[in-house]
Amino acid sequence: MNKLNMLITEMNSIDFTNRDDITAYLAYMGYREHYAESSLIARAYATANLFKDHKPFIYNYDRILGSINGRYAPCGAYSQATLQHAANVCASYGYMGFYQNIDHFTPDYPTLLQYGIGGMLNRIDASEAAHKGDSDAAQKLDFLQGARVCMQAFSEMVKNYACAARKKGEETQNAELLMAADIADKLAFSKPDTFREALQLVWFAHISFLYEGRYAMALGRMDQYLYPYYKNDVENGVITSEEAVDLVACTLYKIAEKKLMNAPTMWGGDVVNIAIGGLKRDGSDATNELSYVILEAVKRCNIPGPNLSARMHKSTPDEFYDACLKVIGTGLGYPALMNDEATVPALADCGYDIEDCRDYSMVGCIEAFISGKQPPWADGRYNTPKYLEFALNDGRCMRDGVLYGLKTGKAEDITSMQQLLDVFVAQMEFGALETVTIFNNENDRYNRKRYCQPYLSCYCQDCINRAKDINDGGAVYPSVYGLGCMGIATVADSLAAIEKTVFIDKKLTLAQLRDILIADFEGNEELRQELLSLPKYGNNDDFVDKYAVWLLDKQYEIFSKLRTRDGGRVYIAMASNVQNISAGSVCAATPDGRRNGAPMSDAASPMHGMDRNGVTSVVLSVSKPDYTKVACGSVVNQKFTPSAFSSDEKIAKLRALIKVYFARGAQEMQINSVGRKTLIDAQEHPERYSDLVVRVSGFSAYYTYLTRDIQNDILMRTEND
Amino acid sequence: MIERGRISRIQYFSTGDGDGIRTTVFMQGCNLRCAWCHNPETQPLDTAILNYSEDKRVLSGEDITADELFKRIIKDEVFYIESGGGVTFSGGEPLLQADFLSGVAKMCKGRGINVLFDTAGCVPYQCFERVAPYTDTFYFDVKAVTKEDCEKYRCGDPKLVLDNLKRLCLKSNVVVRVPIIPGHNNSKEKIEQIAGNVADAHPSRVDLLPFHRLGAGKYRAMNKEYDYLYTEPLKKSDLEQYVCIFEDLGLKCRIEK
Ligand code: SF4
Repeated sequence: MNKLNMLITEMNSIDFTNRDDITAYLAYMGYREHYAESSLIARAYATANLFKDHKPFIYNYDRILGSINGRYAPCGAYSQATLQHAANVCASYGYMGFYQNIDHFTPDYPTLLQYGIGGMLNRIDASEAAHKGDSDAAQKLDFLQGARVCMQAFSEMVKNYACAARKKGEETQNAELLMAADIADKLAFSKPDTFREALQLVWFAHISFLYEGRYAMALGRMDQYLYPYYKNDVENGVITSEEAVDLVACTLYKIAEKKLMNAPTMWGGDVVNIAIGGLKRDGSDATNELSYVILEAVKRCNIPGPNLSARMHKSTPDEFYDACLKVIGTGLGYPALMNDEATVPALADCGYDIEDCRDYSMVGCIEAFISGKQPPWADGRYNTPKYLEFALNDGRCMRDGVLYGLKTGKAEDITSMQQLLDVFVAQMEFGALETVTIFNNENDRYNRKRYCQPYLSCYCQDCINRAKDINDGGAVYPSVYGLGCMGIATVADSLAAIEKTVFIDKKLTLAQLRDILIADFEGNEELRQELLSLPKYGNNDDFVDKYAVWLLDKQYEIFSKLRTRDGGRVYIAMASNVQNISAGSVCAATPDGRRNGAPMSDAASPMHGMDRNGVTSVVLSVSKPDYTKVACGSVVNQKFTPSAFSSDEKIAKLRALIKVYFARGAQEMQINSVGRKTLIDAQEHPERYSDLVVRVSGFSAYYTYLTRDIQNDILMRTEND
Repeated sequence: MIERGRISRIQYFSTGDGDGIRTTVFMQGCNLRCAWCHNPETQPLDTAILNYSEDKRVLSGEDITADELFKRIIKDEVFYIESGGGVTFSGGEPLLQADFLSGVAKMCKGRGINVLFDTAGCVPYQCFERVAPYTDTFYFDVKAVTKEDCEKYRCGDPKLVLDNLKRLCLKSNVVVRVPIIPGHNNSKEKIEQIAGNVADAHPSRVDLLPFHRLGAGKYRAMNKEYDYLYTEPLKKSDLEQYVCIFEDLGLKCRIEK
């Protein structure tokens, strides 16, 4: 029975306006009881209080319990002075953010399911016994105590949901809620035995992270860790696939709460990555019935939040490709298609155990992550074309003349292409070191012994056994930093343009070109048109594609030499999120004919409108660089008209296209299938398109939430029939 | 073998005409002037210019050698192999350049690439004979079967077209394509007329191509009148009824989407 629609109707009919966020208050009530204790313990009690003291909210059509509604209270329930005081106290305890490894994490749900909350508490006790005699026992026992306090509070939270559901169930004679209450009661201590129980426990944990204020917490490989429960239930006639679809959909739809409760981000919600398909730890195909169940559930939700990633590899069944493409064809923009054949070797290159590499998932948009075994993710952007600007202008910005780069000499003294490339590399190296240093400084700002995250650590191997925090040596692997190297096409096109006009045709000197760029082609429109007509990345032309290959290799070389504070790797990504627009706004004109301030090429895609020979040439070009050097991941946006998905035959053609693309070693493709007309109409009549979801970059979003420049950026992507 | 031919344009990842991922080579030049033609720029034997806007002008008509054309076709070979696709020669009327294309088709065949010709069939039968040895499938348009209709809509000599169709079907794999045009053959009796004639030839399949207005922009860009600007798209129920007419005569028939 399809209960999703009833839940959707209910959730959307509730008025969630005129409320205050009271999370700081809930945390404060924990702190004030423990001022005398260490900040680690006080912080654990603050978290515990968030779990225990929020008011569980139950929907009439809830199937899987757990809501973030307890973070809010009607305006006026607490005075502004109270809330302000609470916020001040919380702030004094410090705030760790994305750059300090706090979220964008795939929790170790398999272990939670295996032990249940009670079993996790036992593990904490056992570790305490084992570490009592250690020389640094005090720190370790403090940490374990913090973990215990949080885990116990989590158990209480689950009990509170059971109580609330039972109460509402009895009042309204709702058998579904009574069943959910029984399940929650069991899960407050025991491990789950059925699919529904396992899903419920995972969702409770996910919700607990949201109470802590974490964002972009991934659900990881749901089709893998839930599969044994699903299989068992199906075999015993406890559940059908249709029932499972509805349960999963009723769970994932709650990601929309963030939007409904007036806490929307730019794209209207959270980005909760879910990975389906791919390889098993032993290297065989992991695609199973649950992969299809999740795919269908996400499709029915029709919201941007569940950021679905479909992992593909050599023996992925065609059927799975086709099922994914059909969902993409609805216009949602996901699943993003990921190639294990590129990402698994890229991760293995960082020194992880090969089985862990095969077990990767994605966090946030597309960032590859060793599930439950490394500290939370952090990344930044690296504005590659800017370093070419420095190379041409002796380390100085062409816009304001400031020396940001290295003094590598004037353009007048650069006499060959090779020399230019060497100078460019020197600029990139300097910029990379500066960028990573700034990050490391920022990342290391907090004392990892005091700023512990004992609760999160419970979801990361091997923190409990080691009695160490996730960021203090508890995790199996060290922290990593990802850098989105932007503008690969802008750079490749620019280098090819320089080679052709300056060094082959000798139409002008490098110094003349520099001056023309500084002047933003003022008075040189003819030359600009000529530059625009030169070979461009995305047309399967080696004259320019060779520079994309070269650039990726160099960036790998440069960044793989650098390390994070605890010795982890710096990954590169061929991705830009939507920062290709802001990155462009700070860059002078480029030799490819791009004007001063105009957007850069997007992610790993060719420059907008420069892929003149259709999508097959794009595939052939974009698959040339070696993505086994890109451990973080890449993004290649493609746009197809809805008619490209209109029959099984056409779907098979798209599948063939993507299989060629992946067989040639490319890493990712994501597809928008919302027609141009619709996008333009939605700009003019946003009110009619409040539900329109489109692919932006590594994530999908409500189109009408996006700013006009991002909307235009999506519009400008070349559309294939 | 004629060394040079004239193309209008090449479309890669062409998924509407034939099996798998195809490259469609639109040849320049046509001997007909079908009233609803959606590639009017391919009609002139020399060249045509599409003036879309101030800064968007497209020239139709590029001379090319057989080797160069072959090179552009095999660029996408990996896709043909993966998808079971190949090359489609369309137009215009590709068989007006049968000598030139027989050379290119031969090279393609030699490489194992699937070759398809999309023709209106109003050419001397020798043209078919030139390319048939290297062709896997012919898409053969039948738009009208009476002399009056053909004259009215400028779509060729029905006797020649139907004779060619019969002869070709004896030897080659032929798919008949019937564009359904409102106001012209969008009626039960017209379709019955066409179906009767087509059935005599025994093609391997019949595709019905519902009328669309996608060519309208090109007429504007060529500063030409387009008679179908306000024509409504077809009704699904009508199309399904036409499928039955062909099926009742023992033909395989489907609607192209
Ligand atoms: S045969 Fe084809 S190209 Fe020639 S006029 Fe008719 S529709 Fe146009």
